[in-house]
Amino acid sequence: MSEVKYLTEFYHLNEFQGLDGYKKNGGYKELEKAFKMKPEEIIDVVKKSGLRGRGGAGFSTGMKWGFLPKNNEPRYLLCNADEGEPGTFKDRMMMEKAPHQLIEGMIISAYAINSKKSYIYIRGEYDYPIACVRKALEEAYSAGLLGKNILGSGFDHDMDVYVGAGAYICGEETGMISSLEGLKGQPKLKPPFPAVQGYLRKPTIVNNVETLAAVKYIIRDGADGFKKYGTEKSTGTKLFSLSGNVMKPGNFEVPLGYPLKDLIFDLGGGMKPGRKLKAVIPGGSSAPVLTADEAMRATMDYENLASLGTMLGSGAVIVIDDSQCMVDMLGTLTHFYHHESCGQCTPCREGTGWLDKIVHSILEGRGRLQDIDLLIKVADNMKGRTICALSDAAALPVLSFVSKFREEFEFFVREGRSQVKGTQYAQMHH
Amino acid sequence: MPKCTINGVHVEVKDGATIMEAFYKLDQGIAHYCYHPGLSVAGVCRLCIVDIEGNPRPQIACNTVVTEGMKVTNQSEKIKDGVKWVLDFHLINHPLDCPVCDQAGECGLQEQYMEYGKYNSEMAEPKVKKHKVVDLGPTVVLDSERCVLCSRCVRFTDEVSKTNELGLFNRGDKTEIGTFEGQELNNKYSLNTVDICPVGALTSKDFRFRQRVWYLKNSETVCTGCSTGCNVKVYYNKEGTFRVKPVFNEKVNGHWMCDDGRDIYKFVNVEHRQTVAHKITAGQKSEMVPGLAATEAYQVIKNTDDNNLAVVLTGQYTNEEYETALKNFKTKNIFHWKNKDENWKDFDGLLIRGDKNPNSKGLETALSKAGLKSDWKDLESGITSGKFTTVIVAGPENIKAYPCFDDRVKMIAKAENVIWMTACSSESFKAFHNNALIIPMKSYLEKAGTFTNYAGLDQSFKKATTIVSHALTLAEASFLMTGQTLPMPATAAVSKFIDDSRRTDQVMIENRKKNEFVFKRGNL
Amino acid sequence: MFQLSSEGLVEVKKELARYETKESAIIPSLFIAQKENKGWVSKEVVNYLSNVMDIPESKINEVFKFYTMFNQKPVGKYHVQVCATISCALVGARELSTHICNELKTHHGEVTEDGRFTVSRVECLGSCGTAPMMQVNDRYYENLTNESAMNILRGLK
Repeated sequence: MSEVKYLTEFYHLNEFQGLDGYKKNGGYKELEKAFKMKPEEIIDVVKKSGLRGRGGAGFSTGMKWGFLPKNNEPRYLLCNADEGEPGTFKDRMMMEKAPHQLIEGMIISAYAINSKKSYIYIRGEYDYPIACVRKALEEAYSAGLLGKNILGSGFDHDMDVYVGAGAYICGEETGMISSLEGLKGQPKLKPPFPAVQGYLRKPTIVNNVETLAAVKYIIRDGADGFKKYGTEKSTGTKLFSLSGNVMKPGNFEVPLGYPLKDLIFDLGGGMKPGRKLKAVIPGGSSAPVLTADEAMRATMDYENLASLGTMLGSGAVIVIDDSQCMVDMLGTLTHFYHHESCGQCTPCREGTGWLDKIVHSILEGRGRLQDIDLLIKVADNMKGRTICALSDAAALPVLSFVSKFREEFEFFVREGRSQVKGTQYAQMHH
Repeated sequence: MPKCTINGVHVEVKDGATIMEAFYKLDQGIAHYCYHPGLSVAGVCRLCIVDIEGNPRPQIACNTVVTEGMKVTNQSEKIKDGVKWVLDFHLINHPLDCPVCDQAGECGLQEQYMEYGKYNSEMAEPKVKKHKVVDLGPTVVLDSERCVLCSRCVRFTDEVSKTNELGLFNRGDKTEIGTFEGQELNNKYSLNTVDICPVGALTSKDFRFRQRVWYLKNSETVCTGCSTGCNVKVYYNKEGTFRVKPVFNEKVNGHWMCDDGRDIYKFVNVEHRQTVAHKITAGQKSEMVPGLAATEAYQVIKNTDDNNLAVVLTGQYTNEEYETALKNFKTKNIFHWKNKDENWKDFDGLLIRGDKNPNSKGLETALSKAGLKSDWKDLESGITSGKFTTVIVAGPENIKAYPCFDDRVKMIAKAENVIWMTACSSESFKAFHNNALIIPMKSYLEKAGTFTNYAGLDQSFKKATTIVSHALTLAEASFLMTGQTLPMPATAAVSKFIDDSRRTDQVMIENRKKNEFVFKRGNL
Repeated sequence: MFQLSSEGLVEVKKELARYETKESAIIPSLFIAQKENKGWVSKEVVNYLSNVMDIPESKINEVFKFYTMFNQKPVGKYHVQVCATISCALVGARELSTHICNELKTHHGEVTEDGRFTVSRVECLGSCGTAPMMQVNDRYYENLTNESAMNILRGLK
């Protein structure tokens, strides 16, 4: 099966980045159409379309919008362009190639939820995407697509870019809100949920870049048009970021439900010469890993992957071939979570550090046999007890790597070196 | 007013109250570090997890609002196991400092561990190293390794003292409490952070390494630093008094006290006290027992006409003492010695008031009830003119609060006979050359009584301990000095100290007492 | 003593007025100040910003020390940040960063003797499909090999 160019239909055109090129290819037509609808109608059609959050949580977008209180409080729309999940790089492409698509989707969404102010929170390292979005905003303001009385609709809206400064935790919705408020990017206690009390304690909706861009297409094609793609519970298309040991890494847009093996071997060009598939992480580093057998049976939708004990997440597919040492790769992940834990709550703060130290002990040849079970015990006790899901995200890879590739861990502990690479950590690459 | 059930016990709480507040109301034990009733909710320690019926996931008690009919338990095996592990996470990087840590004996980690501990630590990796013995300022020392990052101290400097000195810097397990480089934790309420710190991360420079807390007894009393009358607990043993901590009182001081009040134990210790009575005659000083000095005083007073007798009182004695003294001294020349009363209306917005006496109001009330009103200027002129031949003074025990002390002593020393009652000794007494008797008094810790604070609230306290055993109270002295014998001590119950059913801040006091003689291990 | 240039001060004042609260301007102001302080944030910078923005030093310090893009120590003229998280590690990013360090005769995190380079290993930069890659100051350089990386670095003025 081939790609479906739904959101990415015109990404091959350089002019699509600018306002004129965007408008030439159907840009801002949906905005005009949306202004003719009532906000409740837009929320309704988004609900019916089955659109789910494309950033990782997969929560029904229409339902999230429905949680807003029915009062006159000012509400904020925050676009989550922090894209920190390892393996994910789709939002970057969208912002570089089609910033106006995002802006249009945001204005429509803001109109639907009656928000007068929105922010696009972009991670600080994305220098070029930030410049693209900033330029697009200027163009939009000049053309009267933002500001007062947009296109004569009577709807006012202001949009601004907020630049992050390097923290994965700011991709968590309340972490982002904290960061935007000028505090450290530490997640807030929930309840209250952002839809009720978010940015500056006002109702706030946080959505991913791809989710907001998709709203435009739901307006264009209606709920049924959107549901033509995907499965019954996972509707629409999704951009998947393919990376790791494949011939053709990159972003691919396919309908949800697409077979994972086709994504890797068809669109992704398959393994490098002489190498076999060993493991796949299907939804960003926080998703439990799949063995090669499981990966061959998987389809890229929320339900199927959940039934295999993993998750769709951000849709970042990380391919691992048989030349890689699983203990080593787990080491990069534990290092990542240890580095990125915000440090607020104790199980995550201490647990991520402990997991990292144990795995690196094993990697340095000092592992003990009980360390493997200890990894499982520590990871198990980090789950479900913290303010945000980073603790679970750190625990799940550890649990899945150890349970599915236990032999490699046991070998490393017994022999003091990698079963695959044959060498110790220190000799591997340092 | 929703009703809920905590571990099988029914309780009704205010609207919007959290489960933690319900636990507090019932005085049931629940593990927690970051929650404090006087600060905002942080929810970061994750120890207060509870099982709510109908909810598959454990929730934290400090941030979950009670709904009608909620059934909560923290005694299920799942919760106990969860608390065990969360506690273990707190401990994996905690240094083995107990032998040298001031907090030992009242440490949150020790107490939780006795209750829920794992007893088989599995951490075999090197611990995170952080700064130790950091000089945070004039009063507090920080040890970052011991810190469990509950953020109570940071919330305190943000919300209560509003001085924003403390912050949590860095990320992940490298996070440390601290001040910005070059700045100090220097505000008038800094030692409260030591009280609320559940572990030995913040310790008081004043108390550091001076006593093990299990050798200390404590007694609740009223702070004598100023007219606010914060409720405090003074810690003492045979070697002396060592420190002062606040006690919660909703009406007076909330959960806090100021740093000045922490010093009120200092002047009470025996090295500052007047321990024997002195009789000075024509420049010669001789020692005697206080009771005998008081009867000698009677000889002088008996031969003094009421018009020539002046009594000077300070606002540092109890209401009961004033009542008895005014009954016994029949003269109308009773003067209220005020120290810097132009500042008495000062208030810093939180707790500190300008009147540095605990019972000025009590004295004023007693004087007005007895219809006595005298102008201080008359005392000065009376002494200079020779009208007042005998001056009785109930001097301040907190002499530092009286900047004019030396001058006043010199002024009063001009009188023919001086009878000076004082708890503390002072170099200023060298000014006495004529006939003088210096009689030792009991300090506020050594007597039961009542102080009236600035707002007119009466607060009674029990006797804590005895430091100078033969010193007299003002009441006893007034009996002896007017030729009477000491009455039998009243056996009537002193009015209850504030609110006996109040909840102490240190939640695990009960657990500590429970463990005092029985070493109880968790599940092995 | 650190001081912003007049343009920098104008920028900071703009940021202070731009968001709903002035605290939101801390991150943008730290970026502005870092640029003018040779690529790192010192204690004096925080002091200065605290005065200009009228925000307590401890609050600015908390934000400063939380985020990785603010450097707490001086860095070389070119801060070479090589991503080493899983997708890049799978294709040899860590070997690349070691190679760069050896070629530049330095170690991770240090400033080279001529003050031109600091090489660091960082976490995921969102460029997983074009790995191995590196970020030099603001710019991404992707699809690197040992040779192409060194050519780029040697070509920097």
